[in-house]
Amino acid sequence: MSSPMSSPMARQLVGKGAARTVRRRAVGDSRRPGWKTYLFLAIVLLISFFPFYFTVLLASSDAATIARNPIPSPIPGDNLFSNIARVISSDIKFWQALANSIIVSCVTALSVVFFATLAGFSFSKLRFRGREGLLVFVIATMAVPTQLGIVPLFIVMARLDWIGKLQAVIVPGMVTAFGVFWMTQYLREALPFELIEAARVDGASMIRTFISVALPAARPVAAMLALFTFVGSWTNFFWPFIVLGSSNPTLPVALQLLQASYFKDYSLIMAGVVVATLPLVLVFIVAGRQLVAGIMQGAVKG
Amino acid sequence: MHRLTWQQRLSRFDVKASPYLYISPFFILFAVVGLFPLAYTAWVSMHEWHLIGGQGAFVGLQNFTDVLGQPRFTVALRNTFSIFLLSSVPQVIAAIVIAYALDTNLRARTFWRMGVLLPYVVAPVAVSLIFSKLFADESGMLNALLGAVGIDGIGWHSSAFASHVAISTMVNFRWTGYNTLIFLAAMQAIPRELYEAAIVDGAARWRTFFSITIPMLRPTIIFVVITSTIGGLQIFDEPRMYDTLGLGGPDRQWMTLTMYIYELGWGTQMNFGRAAAVSWLLFLIIVAIGLVNFAITRRIASSGTKGARK
Amino acid sequence: MRHPIRTLAALACAGVLVAGCSGGTDNGADDPGTTADPGAGGEEITLVVATFNEFGYEDLFAEYEADNPGITVEHRKAATSNEARDNMNTRLAAGSGLADIEGIEVDWLPELMQYPDRFVDLASDEVEGRWFDWKTAAVTTDDGKLIGYGTDIGPEAVCYRADLFEAAGLPADRDEVAALLEGDWDTYFDVGRDFVASSDAAWFDSAGATWQGMANQLETPFENLDGTVIPLADNTEMKGIYDDIMAALDADLSAGNEQWSEDWTNGFQNDSFATMLCPGWMLGIIAGNAEGVEGWDIADVFPGGGGNWGGSYLTVPDQTEHPEEAKALAAWLTAPEQQIKAFEAKGTFPSQVDALSDPALTGFTHEFFNNAPAGQILANRAEAITVQPFKGPNYFAMAEIMTDALNRVDSAGTDDADSSWEKALVAFDALGLE
Repeated sequence: MSSPMSSPMARQLVGKGAARTVRRRAVGDSRRPGWKTYLFLAIVLLISFFPFYFTVLLASSDAATIARNPIPSPIPGDNLFSNIARVISSDIKFWQALANSIIVSCVTALSVVFFATLAGFSFSKLRFRGREGLLVFVIATMAVPTQLGIVPLFIVMARLDWIGKLQAVIVPGMVTAFGVFWMTQYLREALPFELIEAARVDGASMIRTFISVALPAARPVAAMLALFTFVGSWTNFFWPFIVLGSSNPTLPVALQLLQASYFKDYSLIMAGVVVATLPLVLVFIVAGRQLVAGIMQGAVKG
Repeated sequence: MHRLTWQQRLSRFDVKASPYLYISPFFILFAVVGLFPLAYTAWVSMHEWHLIGGQGAFVGLQNFTDVLGQPRFTVALRNTFSIFLLSSVPQVIAAIVIAYALDTNLRARTFWRMGVLLPYVVAPVAVSLIFSKLFADESGMLNALLGAVGIDGIGWHSSAFASHVAISTMVNFRWTGYNTLIFLAAMQAIPRELYEAAIVDGAARWRTFFSITIPMLRPTIIFVVITSTIGGLQIFDEPRMYDTLGLGGPDRQWMTLTMYIYELGWGTQMNFGRAAAVSWLLFLIIVAIGLVNFAITRRIASSGTKGARK
Repeated sequence: MRHPIRTLAALACAGVLVAGCSGGTDNGADDPGTTADPGAGGEEITLVVATFNEFGYEDLFAEYEADNPGITVEHRKAATSNEARDNMNTRLAAGSGLADIEGIEVDWLPELMQYPDRFVDLASDEVEGRWFDWKTAAVTTDDGKLIGYGTDIGPEAVCYRADLFEAAGLPADRDEVAALLEGDWDTYFDVGRDFVASSDAAWFDSAGATWQGMANQLETPFENLDGTVIPLADNTEMKGIYDDIMAALDADLSAGNEQWSEDWTNGFQNDSFATMLCPGWMLGIIAGNAEGVEGWDIADVFPGGGGNWGGSYLTVPDQTEHPEEAKALAAWLTAPEQQIKAFEAKGTFPSQVDALSDPALTGFTHEFFNNAPAGQILANRAEAITVQPFKGPNYFAMAEIMTDALNRVDSAGTDDADSSWEKALVAFDALGLE
């Protein structure tokens, strides 16, 4: 939630020029980085890695050692795996929570991409009455504070008899204003009208045109949007906690139970942070290349 | 013949109806999970309304005037803007500088780019757990390090400004890399000829950063700032988890507007009516700032483009 | 001509996704969050029990299921009482989704007691006289409806660091310490002044915790017995307590760590303070936070007499489909025999009169606290409780104003005693009571 710098509009600015970039690049790049650039970037990376390292240091220690030493020993202790084992074997339903998190995040990500592309296709390429007004409305919905909506939303879920069920978490996030807006901006640049015309002349229906022309064109930014949504729904806590509770939890809901015991064992809590973050780091290592490419070369059509 | 007509008719229906059908999932979903809560909240804001007890008397705008008259509303407004500025201004500057460094012929380019984006995958809950260990007033690592070199510890929780810095640090940790890549993409769209021409003219490399890169990035910067307004003014997770009580400190040093909404509605008063009123005030503030931003942006963005062409 | 059909098919899929989304997404967890399923036709029913922190019931549920075929108990647990309260209030506000049995903390009672019709009346002959009178009185409405069964209570003793006492030249034996501290709060603070004069440690952990102990001895902390609010500016008793604590802060008796904060937790490992007011449930917290620290002990004494801090109840919300079965389970769980087992499992001190004389309880010693006879000491402290503070619907809001005021001076240091009190008065006005 509250992503201060989630920025679909910036993409729009990025889009046009990126195609040019590739051509220009081929001409030759005059800027060769010196050792100062590498040093600077290395320092930046060290700063962004440090909290991870710090987490592992605490997760491999024990509660009393952590409390006595504000500055942890720079060498990890030997309790990392035993602490992780404690997290997994405690009564927080770890495996169920992991499965739930995977299901919720995957379904949400796929559905956001599909519906956002569908709506983006319509907003950017199809002509219909009220188009501009409706798009402005979509953008305005992003400014609505969500905290208070919890009670009425809960009433809706109760009516549907969805309390405690995964769809109560999935469905409200199945299509987002953010995604619709992003896709609209993107397809406006990346999908030429000629392609649509060509498909229509061939006798393709609207939905056929969408599937054969718009979906492929949206692919680069779809990867980005999917990962974005995946991370967002993986890290979401408050609504899953309220509507699912601990009997059918997602990972963040399960992990907060680690603090339930009478005292705070930071080695255990940090081990929980490690197991909750690790799947995302793995996804990132596997898909991070596409994510970076999605941001960087989104506008370049294959 | 008849068949064809039917098909044509279908095709026309397809063309007419499809645009609406394709955007309908968003609007149907929004009607159920967005509009209904919004309307409900508006209704609540004009009544006495206890969270559990439910609807009371109609009071018109009384809830609005009540909260506007309370010092805590002002404090929350101040904190929200302070944290927002501390987390957006340095973040944009850092992101541009890092992007500038990345916009070179680096070896292992993907490694560096993924590296700066990595913090983004850490959940805000986890970020707060980690940083609260770093920023604890007496037992935190930062103050321990300061103490080791003979400097007095900073009151990361007691001082309002220091707490805003700490909370902004959490936000910046998670989002700087993401914005770096956005700026990097925009930088790569700047035609290289501009740089080459400037260097031929005898300009130093660092000068081109200010005379070419920054002006060309201006529209991107403004757009990043606008969208960050929407998210930044609703900041909740990080400040709420900055201490165990989640109230924003005994003097509400770091209580933001969304936390204030929460305190009014779910806290000790359970005054759902006032919470709804603040919710709507926040919505109006965001929309107003959004409009101002939009107006400014349009002007600067167009002048920025002109500048680039000359 | 097949295209429109495809369009329709695609839309149907989309519609199913939007409206239902059940198919592959429900992972088969059997809908534990709702009680809306009456288990049509069969005797098989599921009772959901919602708790937080540690109630110590995990093994008891299995035992109950074995003795009562056809009943499955589902445990829904929240980490902290704050989260549990958010959860319960949201579901109360929405009018559905509550468990069949909801655990509640004594501090929520003033608010919940305004809505007794949201709960099933639990009164019955079977449970008559099971608890301390004051424990039951807090959940009994004016017209005699009983909305909760008591689980545990928090009779308070004084936990102390024998090693620090000794180093400061004070007696360290638990009986001598009890004799030393016997008396009112002035005595407690005076001994503290002696202590800090010859030690680096503070006397107590935090102003907020100490205030809890003092305020819980007032008969009418914030509201008169008829429910009217005492304006904070006129509340001389409360101001007196505030001033006493401020004087103690001036004398550096407090370690100045806000309760439950990082610094507070770490203070246990760093000899920050020598005494703590400790209700029974605090023993586990001290033992955990102070793991490896030697010297903790418990004195059978409490300044100003007895005091209770915290404790919980089980309620049966009227949303339940199985009021009778839920009531039976709640009654069973809160029977003395079961509460003794919960005490053995997690150290929650029973609120049942009979449990206090049970050998399993009186014979209980706590190894971490130098093998102090914790069971007997806490039983004595429970007997010493004479005053029960009256807590009306606005108690919680005003208690928060007070702890904020104390923390501003004690831990945050943003204010001095006078300016912090002024801010408390402003916050009181903002409540809009009268």
